[in-house]
Amino acid sequence: MDVKEGATASTSVSADGQTGADGNAIVELESVTKVYHQGAVDVFALRGLSLSIKKGEFSALSGPSGSGKTTALNLIGALDSPSEGSIRLEGKSLASLGRRELSRIRRDRIGFVFQAYNLMPVLTAYENAETVLRLQGIDPQERRDRVMALLADVGLEGMEDRLPGALSGGQQQRVAIARAIASNPAIVLADEPTANVDSETAEHLLDIMQKLSRTRGVTFLFSTHDPRVMDRASRIIRIVDGRIADDS
Amino acid sequence: MSRANLPSMAWLNIWRNRRRTLLTLSSIAFGVMLAILFTGLGDQNWREMIDLAARLGGGHVSIQNAEYLDSPTLRNSVRGSAKLREQALRDAEVLRAVTRISGQIMLSTAGQSYGAGFIGLNPGDEDVQTLSLIDAIDEGEMLTSSRGNQIILGRQLAQNLNVRLKSKVVYTLTDPKGEIIYGVARVSGIVTTGAPTVDSGLSILPIDTLRENLGMAEGEGTQIALFLKDHREADRVAARLAGGLAKDLAILPWHRTQPELAGFIAMKVAGAQLMEMIILVLVAAGIFNTLFVSVMERLREFGIMLAIGFSPVTLFALVMLESLWLGLVGLVGAVIVTAAPYYYFSTKGIDISDQLGLTGTEVAGVALTSVMRVGIYPENALIIALAALTGTLLSAVYPAWQAGRVAPAESIRLV
Repeated sequence: MDVKEGATASTSVSADGQTGADGNAIVELESVTKVYHQGAVDVFALRGLSLSIKKGEFSALSGPSGSGKTTALNLIGALDSPSEGSIRLEGKSLASLGRRELSRIRRDRIGFVFQAYNLMPVLTAYENAETVLRLQGIDPQERRDRVMALLADVGLEGMEDRLPGALSGGQQQRVAIARAIASNPAIVLADEPTANVDSETAEHLLDIMQKLSRTRGVTFLFSTHDPRVMDRASRIIRIVDGRIADDS
Repeated sequence: MSRANLPSMAWLNIWRNRRRTLLTLSSIAFGVMLAILFTGLGDQNWREMIDLAARLGGGHVSIQNAEYLDSPTLRNSVRGSAKLREQALRDAEVLRAVTRISGQIMLSTAGQSYGAGFIGLNPGDEDVQTLSLIDAIDEGEMLTSSRGNQIILGRQLAQNLNVRLKSKVVYTLTDPKGEIIYGVARVSGIVTTGAPTVDSGLSILPIDTLRENLGMAEGEGTQIALFLKDHREADRVAARLAGGLAKDLAILPWHRTQPELAGFIAMKVAGAQLMEMIILVLVAAGIFNTLFVSVMERLREFGIMLAIGFSPVTLFALVMLESLWLGLVGLVGAVIVTAAPYYYFSTKGIDISDQLGLTGTEVAGVALTSVMRVGIYPENALIIALAALTGTLLSAVYPAWQAGRVAPAESIRLV
């Protein structure tokens, strides 16, 4: 697989007409520190981390376990807040937002793909994928059109009525990807999305995500140990002990 | 049709652990069933006792002289009862209105003398709806006229006087002026109610004969007994009719004229309500446990839901909807499990004659029925259903609040 594909994706025209070539940052972290207080001990998960992710990037955060990759992803995804520093998403500071606004940001501007798929077990593939669109109040016909197109894009046409229990790990992860991009988010945060699947499935998943990045202009930021992901990433940000050790 | 809406998701969620849900539903169903049967037992039995007391004494509502309650003598009488009865019968809740004279009497035979109470009535105005004793006459017959020398005695009183049907009895009364008057009557009927006070202390005489002997005017009596469609309307009927009465008259609901009975029933009702509260609290505790455990098991799932865009309020609403579904389905289950026992206990009842014994048991002169049946007022059934539903929802508030307060970053890390 040509590593440069990821770089090409960052300059393609996205679904909403914007290009990444102008360098506008989707996400900006400035001197972000995150400290966890565990009794008498303070654990520094991130130390003064500064980072900028541009539109259309297909980037990866790499590093050993405990380096702060997932913490960085959680902070960018507004699942947690920094102890120090600032985080801006599409120019808006997350620190200034209340719980309700953060929920809205997560609903409308951020997509998540987790290691363990995390689909709702009582809902079908279609229903899982359309969840966010429902929360946004999109009308039923438009929801249907978008979700069916997405499921086709991820190679799940004909499986929309299956419950997660009737799907393989790879298929469930595809549903999760469809759910993550259904709302046309500013960025998709993928935390070890290939960790629970076999090699062949991992390659397929990466193909799908790269294709979505290319055709829909979706910005992806991975947290990963997987060399296959790093091979495909246009940018690898290596984090060690809560600091950026390398960014290329 | 998509089920990715909160009510459908809540419905699907409660069936994820089928066994736990069925156990919770059965606790709701059986809890409601117990409350319905307890309340139905009380409603039916207190209704019967109140109606029986009314048909034995002054009705559900009594029009009487304002002084009569404190000084129940023949001097404190009601005049012009025909007009008052007419007035009362215009009220939609009033079924019947009868005039009576009641007081204390001395009954004597050749060898015996006993004090008793008496009711003077017009048999033409009375039937089983107004006088429960008619059903209890097990020897002889009811009075045939408002005049004449007939007398009906309680079984024990007849035995005490050593009289049978057609026996002669002399009665002595004090008239409104304080003079002692005498009368002679023949026993035309003997009544057995099962209530010792009634059977040993009651006599019934023709009202017009009494009026003549006592020098009372036509239509004069000690009370006008009003009988209602529903005894629970007694206070409202009394309030409505009070405005049209002369100042020397009083209109009293049954619980004012029968305070002992009212006190007994109030105590029993309070006890039953306490028991039902305990049942509902226990059921609510079980529901709380179910929902709390179910929320704690799903913390990671709630963290994910927050991550993908659900708001804390939506998660709160989801858990509350799960509780609502449990409550509603539990109530349906309650109807199903209650139907058969309710039907049985409302028709066959529970026979407690062994506990009552041969002599019977009474409260304030009213015999306790030997067969207890259930017959719940519909509004009480509705209150129980609403209480069960409310209790279910209240049990869910804390678990639902916990669901909304999940810290997504931490909960997603849970395995």
